[in-house]
Amino acid sequence: MTDHYDPTDSTDTRNHIRTDGGRDVVELPDQVELPRLLDFYELQTEETTEIAEFYDNLREGQLTTTECQDCGELHFPPRIVCPECQSDDLAYVDLPHEGELFAFSTVRAGAPMGMEDDVPFVIGIVDLGEITLSAHLDDAEYDDLSIGDPVELKIVEIDGPVDHERVFYRFEPKET
Amino acid sequence: MTDVTRNVGIVGGGHTKWGTREASYKDLIQEAGKATFDDTPNVGPEDVEGLFVGSVQPERFAFQTHVAPMVAELLGIDVDSMIARTELACASGQAALRYAWLAIAAGQLDTALVLGVEKMNLPREYAPEAQASMANVMDREFDGVNGFNAPPYFAMIAQRHMHEYDTTREQLAQVAAKNKTHAASNAFAQFQSEVSVDEVIDSFELSPPLCLYDCSGVTDGAAGLILMSEEKAREVSDEAAWITGSGQACFSGNSINNLPSMSAWPQATTAAEQAYDQAGIDDPLEELDVAEVHDCFSISEIVEYEDLGWVEKGEGGKFIEDGRSELDGDIAVNPRGGLLGCGHPLGATGVSQALEVFNQFRGTVESDRQVPAPETGLIHNLSGSASVHSVMTLSRERP
Ligand SMILES: CC(C)(COP(=O)(O)OP(=O)(O)OC[C@H]1O[C@@H](n2cnc3c(N)ncnc32)[C@H](O)[C@@H]1OP(=O)(O)O)[C@@H](O)C(=O)NCCC(=O)NCCS
Ligand SMILES: [Zn+2]
Repeated sequence: MTDHYDPTDSTDTRNHIRTDGGRDVVELPDQVELPRLLDFYELQTEETTEIAEFYDNLREGQLTTTECQDCGELHFPPRIVCPECQSDDLAYVDLPHEGELFAFSTVRAGAPMGMEDDVPFVIGIVDLGEITLSAHLDDAEYDDLSIGDPVELKIVEIDGPVDHERVFYRFEPKET
Repeated sequence: MTDVTRNVGIVGGGHTKWGTREASYKDLIQEAGKATFDDTPNVGPEDVEGLFVGSVQPERFAFQTHVAPMVAELLGIDVDSMIARTELACASGQAALRYAWLAIAAGQLDTALVLGVEKMNLPREYAPEAQASMANVMDREFDGVNGFNAPPYFAMIAQRHMHEYDTTREQLAQVAAKNKTHAASNAFAQFQSEVSVDEVIDSFELSPPLCLYDCSGVTDGAAGLILMSEEKAREVSDEAAWITGSGQACFSGNSINNLPSMSAWPQATTAAEQAYDQAGIDDPLEELDVAEVHDCFSISEIVEYEDLGWVEKGEGGKFIEDGRSELDGDIAVNPRGGLLGCGHPLGATGVSQALEVFNQFRGTVESDRQVPAPETGLIHNLSGSASVHSVMTLSRERP
């Protein structure tokens, strides 16, 4: 092959250039696959994150977070270094699976990429006592909710373009 | 605390039309650069020593990085002192302005260009990508993942504020109606129609309690400013907006569990106190004439009345209801039209706010929204989950 693209040579497919007699055409794929790091869920294995234990615990059915063994601080999100005292002696402790709704709203338009098909969905802030966290609220209608409502954890599997099984937590109104 | 060693003034600035623009990221930069130099006939690109560019997500919105050198090239600027892009989400423009001010005050340079730019409107089918980018301002792994972009998050702030302080749906709407009405006569604004309180409440209930008209927009736009040391400024211009104080605060928290409150922004109080202190402002309500505050959503402005120290906590709703933030009120708040009316091209907003204060001082804004003879002004931006607040004070008189 010569350095120059040769339009008369049908075996020359460098740079996805094709020619049909007129101008050379640069071919691009119709769709670029969503890179797996652009979906919202982090990779969850030991090879990719030092908080893999958080995800392992969740996969086993338990919501946990880190607690500093030196100063006692409870963190959320889980850490590998305590922001209060810089200790790296942290241990995973269980969080309650029931809490109260501190705030909530619903998304009826303007959803982020990957969530457009879920619209409308309900999200909120859940008070678990020592920590609060944001969460999807499943099986909930915005109009039926009030601040202070009891909610409980559910764990979902994430079916997406990675080669390991991912999980995440959500909350739902507690059956009374 | 901070001893500002040299006076620094804004001596000129320019603006592009904001909205859904049929223009690229680079087009917007060139339009704003030209408008800025057109406004300062005695200052050209050859005079600029330092360049500070506020832009939040060009990597995602425009697929471009290293944008400050690109601005230098597009505007023909040879930088021989300092060049940087600042990223602080919605406060990136004010951050760029703050660094330019500090660099001049510290004697590193005499003349700087501050340019804020964002191209947020991707082709229609990619709008969710812009929303995903904005959902990344908290902890992406634990908050963004739950669909926490700005409208539902600020809806929850409104819900908590209404719950704790009896702020009303009408009061939220009064903020939006006021700012959108100002924007109606601002030639650069994205949304240029007057809107009534009822129209706000009747607009699409997007993320209750917030409706569509309680939200700022997804906006393309840019704005620029020329900053100069006092010595240089005297050579080129009789008029300037002098920077008298500037403060910022962030309390070791950006994700939901680590924010100090959902209904109060003590970081705004800390940032404002720094700025007031430097500017020698004892009673902001008495001493400030015009304020451009970050009304990304109607609720934000109400929380800001309180946490910038103008009224007691919980009295923000009453402040708008009593007309105290109108053009003829105690402080004219957002005569530009705010983010609600002008739109919010993230990195450009703080720059545009400072330009508005300068234009108010020199009396060059449209007459409907001109504040009578203002002498002192303030700009405020929050960023992300409102975890950071940035405040700057300006004065028409040289300090
Ligand atoms: C509120 C929001 C979700 C609406 O987006 P959307 O539902 O995709 O709206 P569309 O773009 O489909 O526009 C629909 C109509 O509403 C109008 N519109 C869109 N946003 C608007 C707004 N914020 N205010 C007033 N009108 C708006 C459009 O002009 C359009 O009008 P038309 O039908 O007459 O042309 C979007 O504007 C938004 O996200 N705003 C907040 C931006 C933000 O979060 N910034 C960071 C803040 S910290
Ligand atoms: Zn510790």
